[in-house]
Amino acid sequence: MTGLQEVSQRHEDELEAAVAKGKPILELRGLQKNYGAVQALKPATITFLSGEIHAIVGENGAGKSTLIKLLTGVIPRTAGEVSWQGEPVQLATPTEAIARGINAVHQEVVLCPHLSVAANMFLGDEMNSKGLMRKRAMTDAAQGVLDDLGFNLPANATLGSLTIGQQQLVATARAAMRGTRFLIFDEPTAYLTRQESAQLFRLIRRLQGEGVTIVYISHRLEEVFELADRVSVLRDGTHVGTRYISETNEAELIALMINRTIEQIYHKEQFALGETIVETRGLSGPGFSDISLSVRAGEIVGLYGLIGAGRSEFALGLYGRHPLTGGEVYWQGRKVEIGNERRAMELGIALAPESRRDQGLCLNLPIGLNINLPVFRKLTRGLTINRAEEAANADRQIRDLQIKTPSRRVLASAMSGGNQQKIVIGKWLSHGAKLFIFDEPTVGVDVGTKAEIYRLFARLLEKGAGIILISSYLPEVYELADRLHVFRQGRLVASHDYRAASHEDVLAQAINA
Amino acid sequence: MSVETVESSTGPTPKRGVSILFGLTLLGLLVVLWLLLGLATSAFWTPNNISNLLRQGAMTAILAVGQTFVIITAGIDLSVGAVVGFTSVIVAWLLAAGVPLWLALIATLLIGVLIGAFHAFGIVRMGLPPFIITLATLTSLRGIGLLITNGSTISITNEAFTNFSRADFLGVPSLFWMVIVVAVPAYVFLHLSRFGRYLFAVGSNSEAARLSGVNVNRTIYLAYILSSTCAAFVGLLLASRIGIGNATQAEGWELQAIASSVIGGTSLFGAVGSVHGPLLGAFILATINNGANLLNVNSFWQRIITGLLIIVIVYFDQLRRRGSR
Repeated sequence: MTGLQEVSQRHEDELEAAVAKGKPILELRGLQKNYGAVQALKPATITFLSGEIHAIVGENGAGKSTLIKLLTGVIPRTAGEVSWQGEPVQLATPTEAIARGINAVHQEVVLCPHLSVAANMFLGDEMNSKGLMRKRAMTDAAQGVLDDLGFNLPANATLGSLTIGQQQLVATARAAMRGTRFLIFDEPTAYLTRQESAQLFRLIRRLQGEGVTIVYISHRLEEVFELADRVSVLRDGTHVGTRYISETNEAELIALMINRTIEQIYHKEQFALGETIVETRGLSGPGFSDISLSVRAGEIVGLYGLIGAGRSEFALGLYGRHPLTGGEVYWQGRKVEIGNERRAMELGIALAPESRRDQGLCLNLPIGLNINLPVFRKLTRGLTINRAEEAANADRQIRDLQIKTPSRRVLASAMSGGNQQKIVIGKWLSHGAKLFIFDEPTVGVDVGTKAEIYRLFARLLEKGAGIILISSYLPEVYELADRLHVFRQGRLVASHDYRAASHEDVLAQAINA
Repeated sequence: MSVETVESSTGPTPKRGVSILFGLTLLGLLVVLWLLLGLATSAFWTPNNISNLLRQGAMTAILAVGQTFVIITAGIDLSVGAVVGFTSVIVAWLLAAGVPLWLALIATLLIGVLIGAFHAFGIVRMGLPPFIITLATLTSLRGIGLLITNGSTISITNEAFTNFSRADFLGVPSLFWMVIVVAVPAYVFLHLSRFGRYLFAVGSNSEAARLSGVNVNRTIYLAYILSSTCAAFVGLLLASRIGIGNATQAEGWELQAIASSVIGGTSLFGAVGSVHGPLLGAFILATINNGANLLNVNSFWQRIITGLLIIVIVYFDQLRRRGSR
């Protein structure tokens, strides 16, 4: 069996000599990127020290993605200099970045789902013998690395059969065995369970121990404090400061990030509860069974559980996306059949689904079309759409939700995670609803936008709506939900009132510990 | 924030931004081709030749518009050439059987509707890829047409029908008027009505469209029915022009239609396309064929030139798209 050390050894000789620990390995001087007239990254001067874990935090659109793309050679810089181990470098192509030992693990896994885990780990770097692939040797080596890292994953399984979180671990292992000197993690824990996150953190610390410089990008400040040595803050494309983690605190970072203090990120207002909007009795369907719960006007009902616990499936079932196999739905006291999505919308249910990319947005279409998609029927006069109303409706949502875009005609794919989430929300605000289902609304969303979304919840409740909030991030549902239901393996296993149970108890119920 | 730097290049707002520029570029290319051919050969700018060119391009143009609806939903319709041949047989057969002209026309168009509905049924209910189901009907329809005619052709004796394709109206061939008859409603449908928006949404992300209340299945039915009905309409025009029904006619026209659509800026990945693009694409192809004939270029070369042109135009289109990001 081979371990990580042996496999990554294959590449050690190709790389230049490492810089002594604590000395600058990568220096950015006035690094700048413009897209047309928009300054995505204003001149930034940041030094990364060899062997450190350097966190980068900032709101959406702050320039974090731009910075990663510059460092990994995906886009060319507009101006500025980059020095790698003291030598000026171009970093013009991803190949150049990888050849120098700069790798990135992206938030959304970019690997081949139809190939095996081992094939993915060796993709583009296969072990060959006389022109033929040594498949067996690669599978064994990959398994060795996975075991060595403590990931309980089979190397011969198809990548697509793993959960997103597991795929992320494979992507990380892949980067780790390339003899990496400098590894960038972009929101790595967005799709991970706690257990998987813990595995990832162990790997990161281990890589650091082996002299790898880590850049860690995350919205979760508690992770930054747990892992990082130093932290750089970006705001509106400007590098506003770098701090030693031991010399700063959460409040200071938030103030730097959003230039105002957040007394309370989890903005919660209590409203008098009104009539029951929806009630399910023993609802069953694909991935969930026997779910009974109700939502009242002015109430946030939280659904907590690990990914795959059946919360999203329940939401999709209630929304008419998947056929129900049993149970009843009562809408404002009347028994209803919700056979399709259209029916759900007509009743007054809105769903902001779990995956923006797969379910929420038409990414290669304009923002305006996305916002108006549920309401084109209302915008139609006779045969054609009223173009003026169409434009006005899109612009109103962009303005109200402060979506950062020069125009409604920009493609949704050009937006950052937080702004994309706002587009999804904008769709449903323009349609209107009595019951809003938000499935993981703050995944990949920065602190500032998070707070905006939570304030929006209060505005919706004030108008007499009810909210179902689905999250795998316990503090979020814990601090916001008036009533918290815990899901495990497709069943509702426990229910609590606002802050009635401890974090530990809720977590234990979710993982059955 | 009023600086408009990142413009969308997709179809729903064709009047703005880069899309119109691309349309103008294609129109410019067409005009340049015409001017060059006018200089190179005296036979080009004759009323006879221009009429001929408009007739040649008309049928591909109508097929390309229908094809574009399907491609925008990220599908493909390989059957349109076969549908043209098949429906030419149907209308000739009906007329030979003594069915009144108006009824024969409507019945033939209805056959087109049914073929499209069958494609959508295969895609939506049976889960077949569009490539497969339309490939299957491509070969089957030719077979059924050959069975009906027993491998030969059916002559059309109805003069009102056959005279139509030779007639002019206001000096413009009636076949070209048919392009306008199709293109204007197609433009309203694709760019001004909500169903057009739904085609783009389904082509971009059908799950997101479904969760936004779009009836995805109905949208797919609509796209394939429109494509097959356009093809049936072209089948009528072809039968009128050549005066026979023959199941082997229009061989390879599906590729002409797809090429016209793609030259006109439609993305085979879906969610990008327009009505004016494929029209220009069809007439660019027709001009090249026409010019090559006038210049006595070997018809084998015509095929090679057409292929190269597709590569060049689509390559520049993609460069433009990347540049606008």
